[in-house]
Amino acid sequence: MDEQTVLTRERVLQELGAYPPEVSEEFEKSWKAMCASVNERQLADWAELGLRLAGETIRSWESAVEYFAASPRVVSMMPFNYFVRWAESGRDLNGTSPVLGAAYYRASPGAMARLRSRHIESWAAMGRSLYRGTWKSGALSTKFFESSPSLLETLTVPELERFVALLSQLSHRSYDLAAEAITAGLKIFPQLGEDKGAFLSMASSLAAGSWRQVKGLFEAASRSLPKVDPSHRMRFLELADRLREAGVSASESMIEVSAAMGDMDRSTSGEILGFAERLAGASPGAVTPFVRSCPPVLERVSMSQLTRWFDQGLATMQENSDAGLSYFKLESSRSLQILEALSSSVELARIKDLMERYCKALAGADVELRESRELADRHIGWVSEDAPSTEGRAVYVPSVFDKYPCKARNFTMYKVVSTHQVAHLEFGSFLFEYDRPSTRFNDLRPTLSGPRQRSDAAPEGEGGGSWVTDMQRFFDMFANRKLALDVFTVVEDGRLDAKVKKEYLGIRADYTAVQGDSVKSRPGIESLPAQEALVEFLVRISLDKKDGLTVPAKYANQAGRIARFARRVMDPDATVEDTAEAVIRIHAILDGIPNEQVEDWQYVDVDSEEEDDDLSPEEIENLLEQAAAGPEETPGGDGAESQYEQVREVDYRGEFKPETVQLLAQLRASRDAPADGNGEPMSQEALEELLASSAEVEMEAAEGGAKEAGGEFAENMLKEAGLSAPRSPDTGQGPLTHVDEGEGALDPTEPETFAYDEWDFRADDYKPNWCVVRQKGMAEGDPTFYSATLRSYGSLVNQVKRQFELMTPEMFKKVRKLEDGEEIDIDDVIEAVVDIKTGAGPSEKLYWRRNKVQRDVAVVFLLDTSASTAEAIEDTRKAADDWEAPDDPVEYMTWLRNRRGDGMRRSYKRIIDVEKEAVVLLINALESIGDLYGIYGFSGYGRENVEFYTVKDIGEALSQSVKNRIDRIAPLHATRMGPAIRHAASKLDGQDARTKLLFLISDGRPQDRGYSREGVEKEYAVHDTKKALDEARDKDINAFCLTVDKSGHDYLKYMCEDIGYEILENVYELPQRLLYLYKRLTM
Amino acid sequence: MTTPTTTLFRSYIVEEYSLTEEPYYVPVGDEIDLFEAAYHSKIPVLFKGPTGCGKTRFVEYMSYRMGRPMTKVTAGRSDNRRAGGNGSLPLVTIACHEDLTASDLVGRYLLQGDSTIWIDGPLTRAVKAGGICYLDEIVEARKDTTVLIHPLTDHRRILPIEKRGELLEAADGFLLVMSYNPGYQSALKDLKHSTRQRFVAIEFDSPPPDIEAQIIEHESGIDADTAKRLAKLGEKVRNLREHGLAEGASTRLLIYAGKLMVNDISPRRACQVAVNWAVTDDEPLQRSIEEVISSIFE
Repeated sequence: MDEQTVLTRERVLQELGAYPPEVSEEFEKSWKAMCASVNERQLADWAELGLRLAGETIRSWESAVEYFAASPRVVSMMPFNYFVRWAESGRDLNGTSPVLGAAYYRASPGAMARLRSRHIESWAAMGRSLYRGTWKSGALSTKFFESSPSLLETLTVPELERFVALLSQLSHRSYDLAAEAITAGLKIFPQLGEDKGAFLSMASSLAAGSWRQVKGLFEAASRSLPKVDPSHRMRFLELADRLREAGVSASESMIEVSAAMGDMDRSTSGEILGFAERLAGASPGAVTPFVRSCPPVLERVSMSQLTRWFDQGLATMQENSDAGLSYFKLESSRSLQILEALSSSVELARIKDLMERYCKALAGADVELRESRELADRHIGWVSEDAPSTEGRAVYVPSVFDKYPCKARNFTMYKVVSTHQVAHLEFGSFLFEYDRPSTRFNDLRPTLSGPRQRSDAAPEGEGGGSWVTDMQRFFDMFANRKLALDVFTVVEDGRLDAKVKKEYLGIRADYTAVQGDSVKSRPGIESLPAQEALVEFLVRISLDKKDGLTVPAKYANQAGRIARFARRVMDPDATVEDTAEAVIRIHAILDGIPNEQVEDWQYVDVDSEEEDDDLSPEEIENLLEQAAAGPEETPGGDGAESQYEQVREVDYRGEFKPETVQLLAQLRASRDAPADGNGEPMSQEALEELLASSAEVEMEAAEGGAKEAGGEFAENMLKEAGLSAPRSPDTGQGPLTHVDEGEGALDPTEPETFAYDEWDFRADDYKPNWCVVRQKGMAEGDPTFYSATLRSYGSLVNQVKRQFELMTPEMFKKVRKLEDGEEIDIDDVIEAVVDIKTGAGPSEKLYWRRNKVQRDVAVVFLLDTSASTAEAIEDTRKAADDWEAPDDPVEYMTWLRNRRGDGMRRSYKRIIDVEKEAVVLLINALESIGDLYGIYGFSGYGRENVEFYTVKDIGEALSQSVKNRIDRIAPLHATRMGPAIRHAASKLDGQDARTKLLFLISDGRPQDRGYSREGVEKEYAVHDTKKALDEARDKDINAFCLTVDKSGHDYLKYMCEDIGYEILENVYELPQRLLYLYKRLTM
Repeated sequence: MTTPTTTLFRSYIVEEYSLTEEPYYVPVGDEIDLFEAAYHSKIPVLFKGPTGCGKTRFVEYMSYRMGRPMTKVTAGRSDNRRAGGNGSLPLVTIACHEDLTASDLVGRYLLQGDSTIWIDGPLTRAVKAGGICYLDEIVEARKDTTVLIHPLTDHRRILPIEKRGELLEAADGFLLVMSYNPGYQSALKDLKHSTRQRFVAIEFDSPPPDIEAQIIEHESGIDADTAKRLAKLGEKVRNLREHGLAEGASTRLLIYAGKLMVNDISPRRACQVAVNWAVTDDEPLQRSIEEVISSIFE
């Protein structure tokens, strides 16, 4: 310290002596620290400033104390020129009021830490703006400075300025209020996140008008915000602001809304907020009652049902705002009624698993239960989005039933509907064979089919016609195809219903009730022209209605005959061929009746036990003629006769398309067994033509459109049947640079590469260092895949978990017949004594011991990720449905994005997808028993590029990142199994578990470029793989191959000669089977 | 005063147990012919099939049938006739379990006072008496027992009794029959090939509905219509085998349900306890089966 400085210090101290001693003390304390951070000149300036400050007014020494105290910390935060400006700002404030100056300096160290140097002056100005010369304003301003460090933690400078503006506004009314606002602000701002602006503008606009409410707002905000999920707070505030603008008390509504939201969980509160926002647009006053009603409403109905309740309310609101208000207050009976109906409705989503198994049990086939919408979406002929139906392999039902005001009855409705659809499958509606005799009629079909051949028929087909299906052949007989289809539908449904009611006694009562209700909803017979009236009459007969039916008086006789024909089929023993025979007869009668308006009606009862009659010979003659003529144009409506309109379907029976279903079945069969006889699969053109003639597929009216629609249907149908498999999606692989196989050993120079020998079975020797395995980490994918898969396999997951938990062995197992052990085994001793007595040599193994058994398993799963796994599995399954949406908003967004992406990319499942799902289930199960496991994928092209992807390394713990990686498993290139197995085995070899298992999951034979000798011998690859497996066995590793390649028996038998293997018939069984096998293999 | 003790139970010496009444059995296919042919050619028989489908009943039935002279298919084979002549072949049934040792089957020395006596095991007795020895659930037995039966099951037809240093030649009527429930597909080779290839295998499965109905009707005494419904229920529940159910409802369970109904338990309740709750513990699955039951029964 040089002389000058010492002098300065002495002088300042001397001058400070004029003030209370605190000043000098503070100066002395800070002196040393200041010396360290500034140079001498600056030190002098600093001291000089303090001196001047102290001398400014009487009490300004207090400021000087604070100034000296704060200086060392402040100076360390900024360059000295800013420091001077800081000090000067304080001096200005001090000039205004020493109290302010002191407060300013006191708060500085804290505030400066968060404030940029250039904002110093504006900060000082903010404080000054609050001061108006009065004592109270001074207190406010002081408080502001005091709170600044905390406020600045959450507010930016512009926000702070707005807040100060608000405070100043408030302070015009009341300083106390402004001070309270600061206190409240301290509490609220940290909770606000990004959206303080909204809150501030709301508060300031409130302050402009009804300033007294501001306090309430602050209080409300501090009480309500913690209850609202952080991600929703901004929306919540905006909503409150909108309500306030609309004149609703903001604080009140905030408290109310937030209280209600606090009762709901996060995912729902977001949606509720959405509704509230919509409602705020229509009627702000209703928002609070609505939100308040939500928790009780949600106790009764699901979220999707609430949506419907809300929509109804909104509609009501738009008609009449008072009514709407009481609706949302749950004070209107309409609102309650709707809720009642909603809460009693049954949603498919909730009962899908239950009913699906029910259908499977009844049908005895792997029937799926899906939403009708899905069938309509596929564009293969079905149009209705909520009529039940079936296409032969799945049963389609509406997504919700709310016809009845009681849940049990709606469920019953589901059951009746499903039972009816399954009955189509169970009782063979689609197994119609043209040539099979009926059981209750004299067959007319053989006589009728004789004379006519389809005009354009190519004669190559067997049976003389070129009909693709028997159903088509049958319908081709009729002049009025629409009518025939209607009659067939009704009669067949009647047959099935009768059969169901006979076979399923338990459901009969419900069934009859549903039938009764259906009759009520049918159009009145008397409103229809004659032909249609008679069809409608037939519908009622099929619904088992026997009396009180009206028919056109003119045709009462015909009606009686129709009824008798129909009832003859409504017998438990009738077959679909009986239906066909009845249809021929009924159609013949109906076809003779003009579709004219009817004046006279007559009651008929059909329970009379008249003798069954049949068509008269003339009628049969007539039929033969007609059949010979082939289908003609339906006679147009001339005069009184109107064109025949197809009958409206019976609600619980839905759509019935026997022709299309048979066709689909046929197409599927032709794919499965393409090589029979004239086994050329059907062309799209042929199919289009066929569809055009069918009455089942409604081509849209427009001429050009029909052609197009037909084409689309045909294409979709082919796709449906898996005949033109959708192209594999781009697997994202780069162009394959062709590398010559070349000669000689490879040298793994790069890191993470490993060289392995390859077995040449001709040379009977290894090719040394022939292949290079490149080990790569799998990239991470969608984080929701893992949890979504677990969700979709819900019941299996639980089941498997339980089974796996049972696997953990008992800790101690008794081992008998030991030479030494814990205790003597009395059985063995007796045996030994007996042996001695009989003169035989006794065994010396008389002891038993408890052996501590610990499960000690290390397993490596090796997934084949070759390009062939991108193959679609014939079946399309919609992956996700709405109720699978994750709760977490972040997850939800990714989920949504993926779902959209999926929708565009593909709606079918690939083998790899099932593999992935299997991996998820496996991981979940393995974690529960604590086995050591690794999961790897392999693919590659050429011997120098065997790719080996790590999904989970064997020593790695399960982490979110592992879960994410599963999603990225994707089909790549070829399948060079040998090196991959060798590499996996080397990984296992490094483990010292007692049981080591290598699980290979593949979809076909090993193959790769150059994975053969002279490029031709498939056996080369098989032999090498076998050798690799043998090597693994020599390392005490048990291997097991699981393949989905149905033709795998030939090579697997050799490849897995000494090890287990299994071929899966159905890819979908993979997850289940894999777990089962794992259990068996490691027990 | 002492009251004379009355025997409260019936007991038989193992090889003397035979059926005196004809067991009820409805043939589904040609299993009777097959068994008879195998018996006469002294070929051991293996029954495969799920639980409760009638394997044990069939062996009982055959032992009764084979023992009666008039049911002999081939004339002139009177040598097969049992000396006891009470109308049935002796039937020795051994339930295999994992602790079943060779000496449990063959016999052992026991201490009696200061000396030892030899007690024949059930298999030895059956071999001596020339009856049918039925090893139930053979996969459960220890490996050494399965090897033990090897010499009995080929042309040698001998049972070595090591401890006594004897070779026991099987009496003429002796036949070894095993049952085995393959359960799932053959992921692991449960039965060694050297063992299984000594047997002809007859597969059993649940009988077709009409026959099953007939069986249920007879066994439970329920009316024909209800029996048909029970058979239908069985069929439907078995359809779920691929969908979560480990094994379908056995005929035995359906008979139980029928018996409960005969004793005035309501049909739905009877099926619930005898079928639904018996086949699975999985609640969702139970609910589905519940719906099937409520569809079939009132």
